[in-house]
Amino acid sequence: MVTIDLAQTTVRKVNEILRGFGATHQNAEIVNPDAKHYIGVGLVTPTKVIIRGSAGYYCGGLCDGPHFKVDKNVSWGVGDNLLAGSIEVGGNAGAIAGVGMRGGDIVVRGNVGSRAGQVMKKGTLCCAGNANFMAGYMIYGGRVIILGNSGERVGEDMMGGEIYVGGKVESLGNDAMLVEPSSTDLDSVMEFLDRYDIAFQGSFKKIVCAGKTLRYGTAEPRLRKIPFTTFSSGGAEDYWNAKVQEDIRVKAHIGRYRIRGYGTSRHLPHFQDIAFKADLTGAGMDPDVVSRVNLRTFLGEKHGGRSLDLSMPVMIAPMSYGALSKQMKLALGIASRMSGISENSGEGGMLSEERAEARQMIAQCLAGRLGWNVHDVKRADCIEIYISQGAKPGLGGQLMAEKLTREIAAVRGIPAGMDLRSPSRHPDILGGDDLIMKVEELREATGWRVPISIKLGAGRIRDDIKIALKDGIDFVELDGMQGGTGAAGSEVAEFVGIPTIAGLQEAIDGLAEIDCQGQLPIVLMGGVKDGVDAAKAIALGATAVACGSSMLIAAGCIACMQCSVGSCVIGAATQDPEHTARFDVEKRALQVHQYLEAIRWQLASIAHAHGYSDIRQLSRNDLVALTPEAAALTRLPYDESLAGKVRGRI
Amino acid sequence: MCSIAGILFKNGKRSNLGLTTGEALTEMMDACRHRGPDSAGWALYKEPREGKLRLRFFVSRGAGQSEDVARIREGLMANGAAIVEEEAVGCTYGAVVEHEGDIQKFSYAMERVGKLVSVGSSLDLIKDVGQPYGLQKVYGIAQFNGSHAIGHTRLATETGVHPETAHPFWATGFADVATVHNGQITNYWIMRRRLERRGMEFRTENDTELIAVYLAYKMSQGVLLEDALRSSLDDLDGTFSYLVATKDSIGYAKDKLAAKPMVKYEDEDLIALASEEVALNRLFPGRALDTTEPAPLTCGLWSLGKKTEGAL
Repeated sequence: MVTIDLAQTTVRKVNEILRGFGATHQNAEIVNPDAKHYIGVGLVTPTKVIIRGSAGYYCGGLCDGPHFKVDKNVSWGVGDNLLAGSIEVGGNAGAIAGVGMRGGDIVVRGNVGSRAGQVMKKGTLCCAGNANFMAGYMIYGGRVIILGNSGERVGEDMMGGEIYVGGKVESLGNDAMLVEPSSTDLDSVMEFLDRYDIAFQGSFKKIVCAGKTLRYGTAEPRLRKIPFTTFSSGGAEDYWNAKVQEDIRVKAHIGRYRIRGYGTSRHLPHFQDIAFKADLTGAGMDPDVVSRVNLRTFLGEKHGGRSLDLSMPVMIAPMSYGALSKQMKLALGIASRMSGISENSGEGGMLSEERAEARQMIAQCLAGRLGWNVHDVKRADCIEIYISQGAKPGLGGQLMAEKLTREIAAVRGIPAGMDLRSPSRHPDILGGDDLIMKVEELREATGWRVPISIKLGAGRIRDDIKIALKDGIDFVELDGMQGGTGAAGSEVAEFVGIPTIAGLQEAIDGLAEIDCQGQLPIVLMGGVKDGVDAAKAIALGATAVACGSSMLIAAGCIACMQCSVGSCVIGAATQDPEHTARFDVEKRALQVHQYLEAIRWQLASIAHAHGYSDIRQLSRNDLVALTPEAAALTRLPYDESLAGKVRGRI
Repeated sequence: MCSIAGILFKNGKRSNLGLTTGEALTEMMDACRHRGPDSAGWALYKEPREGKLRLRFFVSRGAGQSEDVARIREGLMANGAAIVEEEAVGCTYGAVVEHEGDIQKFSYAMERVGKLVSVGSSLDLIKDVGQPYGLQKVYGIAQFNGSHAIGHTRLATETGVHPETAHPFWATGFADVATVHNGQITNYWIMRRRLERRGMEFRTENDTELIAVYLAYKMSQGVLLEDALRSSLDDLDGTFSYLVATKDSIGYAKDKLAAKPMVKYEDEDLIALASEEVALNRLFPGRALDTTEPAPLTCGLWSLGKKTEGAL
């Protein structure tokens, strides 16, 4: 046992030492912790750590295997996402103790703060005192034991798992119910208490999920006759059009909002309403054009991490394994490697096969922490904190039961067969101040090695971008309203958010307002379909773009907008083996790769035709608005005579 | 989006912490500066002086300062306030004046000649862009050794980074009332209009100013501070953990969602409240403290000379 004095050093140093100790099977005692944050974050060895005093936020966060003993209190998020091992706390714990834990034991001998165990999946969280409100909020599995009083709304929106309360059940949360604990249940609970020397005389009440809201009521009728290409509104001819009628009939049948895939299908000002001023006739005639323009882009070195190294300013947008099939994800992984760009895990965990295929992989951290774990964090090349999405800003993902197969559920650590509605709000990011702390935790977990980015759906972006800048984020992925999704309420997809070009302009203006132009790279996504759109985005001020829908279409997607249904005919957005068998991974990967190369050619050609040798030489001076709307959103010049001349060009 | 901190020595007896009250509060704020790197501020409660008022104004830095100060001095004299003491420091001008009469009228009048930061017999409110340690030196915070004070570090989210938008906020027009707040009041405009209809004035669009004016207005109607704190839990919507200070007390309120943290430490001599325990530990390095996190939808009040626990 080695003693480390935290009064003499920093937590970052201590965590480095602890990781070293783990490798040599040494244990440690930490004195003068003085409630400092992030102690022991990211340990993946069975090291024993004794903390002589109180620890701050995320004590023992993102760990697999260590054993912590804290003499006194811990602040918010003790044992965040614990996979295995134990954490014993002598005093009280702050809010969200055991948030998103996926195994191991957390024992708090005093009281726990609100939302204990939020979105936990496995393991045991035990509180010997009283719990505050919403203990067991949105738990998917695992066990919460509260020896004292439960607090209000215990088990709110729980979807699995079990909660035992020794004291008073103050009130039950939505979809939670009381049942009689079996003798096996009780034996197991008592065995746990004995293991940690906790005396308890009395009886337990057991709370489980009532299961009334796990599935939507009436299923949506299957419709496939009016695809994406029929826009839902935009002109007088659309009044009571076929799509509007269809919508009314479906809602008359199901009595709620409809779920569908893809982004908005309304006409919005977009890149087609912006053009290059220069006459680009003859662009790309040079067969070596790609080698004449520097497209290589580095992203994320701002805070000392190892940046992403992209062969062109393009990424593959985050799309989850779950929404997409394993085969489709593999194809994206392969294509990203072949084109020298990055792939993104999306929600729901990193697929190992895909990690192996992709050279650069971004791990996305979402509110439900589905599939999230320290090992994927450590093997990622970049972390992306998802705040919201362009297609449905402010709302969580949806994965219908048909697609939530046993295998997908296992990766995500949740029960199969429900209509999964992911939480929209992070348990531990409730504002800009908490976000700073989450970023720091992730920096500690990765040893400050990789960039940390944030994904923002374009909404209140002028303010949000400032928060991102102040919170130590390396770059922002900004997603506009035209961005796609695997499943969202159709009203949300159609009407919530702001258009992609408006979002980018707001972000740039926000940074300019605080004299920080160009200090935070922006990766723009949301309907970026090709290299022409990408070049316009870069000229407007984006550092790079990300493509999602166009990647799927390159792989054979027919844009039927039924991604949520789970019977995707090409085998891309389904988990049905009959359909996925049809998906030829290598062939599809090659198609995606070839399309990416076409984007590369377009980017190079446009830059070259302007006489530039670097894509970053493109600027807003090269652009003109073709419509008053696009001009209003971007402040690009709008000149009717010029617009007439360049209309029809790219 | 911020951190809050407050400290009150119950018996008026100063600490055996080895720190002045100003230093102690600054330490607490520095421990949480990660939550708010943009600006910092202190509401210091100094020894009241018979028949005298303390005022602080924002003035220009550098060239325009003497002009601003001259205008304020003129304004003070025109409003029947004789300057007893004065200082110009950083972006502020502070004065102790002899003044009799209605404070609200006087302060509304003074706001026409300068950017008024605070008025009180005891309150002196200092805030600026920067971080606690740096500003402590500029403004001589360490010299303050009074009975109580509250402080704040700010991460600006919706309004710009200026001294004016830093916390704490004085309850415009009401002597000696100041608030600091972490969170967001979502029914800001409804509440503001309601108060404006009753003649209250606002100087910013910051929701923290609203809390201060709300509480001060209630008190001016004869409501006890503890009752005003309690009714704020119903009247204010959103997420909030806030602290309020008056010339002889510190109180807190925390909303029902408890989305914004707050931890308290109390012993016979002092009560300290802060966003994070790490701030409380700065007062007692190396000690494992008996702290508690106030429960959601609760408020509390501690007053000088009263030993009792203050949770309401």
